[in-house]
Amino acid sequence: MAFFSFIQEYFWGFLMATRLTLLITAVSLVLAVIIGLLFAFLKISRNRAANLIADGYIGLTRGMPLIVQLMFLYFGISKLLVLSPFWAGTLALAFHSGGYVAEILRGAIQNIDSGQTEAARSLGMSRRKTMMLIVLPQAFRRALPPLGNQFIIGLKDSTLVAYLGVPELFSKAMTAAAANYRPFETYLMAGTYYLVLVIVFTWMVNKLEKRLTPDRQEATA
Amino acid sequence: MSVIDIKGLHKSFGDLHILKGMDLTIETGQVVVIIGPSGSGKSTLLRCINFLESPDEGEIRVNGKLIDPKTSNLDKVRQHMGMVFQQFQLFPHKNVLHNITIGPVNVKGVSNKKAVATARELLKKVGLPDREKAWPSQLSGGQKQRVAIARALAMDPDIMLFDEVTSALDPELVNEVLQVMQDLAAGGMTMVIVTHEMGFAREMADQVVMMDDGLIVEQGTPEQIFDNPQEERTQAFLSQLF
Repeated sequence: MAFFSFIQEYFWGFLMATRLTLLITAVSLVLAVIIGLLFAFLKISRNRAANLIADGYIGLTRGMPLIVQLMFLYFGISKLLVLSPFWAGTLALAFHSGGYVAEILRGAIQNIDSGQTEAARSLGMSRRKTMMLIVLPQAFRRALPPLGNQFIIGLKDSTLVAYLGVPELFSKAMTAAAANYRPFETYLMAGTYYLVLVIVFTWMVNKLEKRLTPDRQEATA
Repeated sequence: MSVIDIKGLHKSFGDLHILKGMDLTIETGQVVVIIGPSGSGKSTLLRCINFLESPDEGEIRVNGKLIDPKTSNLDKVRQHMGMVFQQFQLFPHKNVLHNITIGPVNVKGVSNKKAVATARELLKKVGLPDREKAWPSQLSGGQKQRVAIARALAMDPDIMLFDEVTSALDPELVNEVLQVMQDLAAGGMTMVIVTHEMGFAREMADQVVMMDDGLIVEQGTPEQIFDNPQEERTQAFLSQLF
């Protein structure tokens, strides 16, 4: 079988599985940002208990391998809570990335000059409005490059969901390779799919960064 | 009537005792210039007036009302005081117009249309009518500071606080900012100015306050302080400058 016909045979199947990969990635990353933002706030809060909760969460999610967290959510707590493979995988990914996102956002928020906060407060803005209108928008702009990085890691980490039997791209590739005895071509092809996804993703993050920093675009023009 | 009335103000940062029982009254329409060596507590005093720093001890009355930093609504208090900072602190993610409208729209609930009209008027006043679409990063230091003044004025404050607003500027840009402040004073604005520009202080001030080591050393008209200082500390400080 020529390489071309090999591609032809798997092209659509892999593409369909890619849709599932994208869905898992997208849902988990949206959740990761929400979770990350929540724990970033807890971590910078002046409440000691909130700090401890944030430290605990970040320590646990970053401190254990993702595959362990996946297995735990799917098999480990099945007596308490039965999750579908899709949701166990997506949630584990979200919790895992959430720890990293929390640290990225916390760093970005704390790196905004305190003079910005003072300027906003001196206009009579409340703490909350200062955060929402002045600090967070600037912090998010600054966090975008490391967030983009984290999102790329999240996309590639979604392969691990295959071990729960979710028929996403990597799982399809494993099944195919086991059936056709041609792991070289099969994994090369799956790898190329991921590569294309990452390239498109990087392009989108760059685009978004440009959009969020109109001042820098014009300033350098 | 006094806009600000301070009695026995103390402020420490850790072991550092910065303000050691300050008394100061600022009357409506007065321009009060605060001078003194660095570390004397000038900026801290200014920051206590709008409660960016919380006083440890003492009383601060604003428009006759005693403010308790624990129970008073400080956001409300600050709405009536404009502050301009040494490092400008324009919001870099907002253009010039938006920097000026963000306060009135989000704090006072002024309609966007009205806030924009006011902002344009203020930009004319500070000599930047054609820069409303510019980003802060595209402005010179002097222009940034003038926008910062416009931003504070947009809240229609009773008093303006200036914290060494020309210290971060290139020398040739200082005058354009001082000019704006002069116009403001001429318009009857109550102002408290911390500055090292002695020529400006002499020309503009109704009251000059000489501070050292957390206390007022001497206070009086520019003539009294600059031409005939009574205290040795004031004489020493001024002789270093001229």
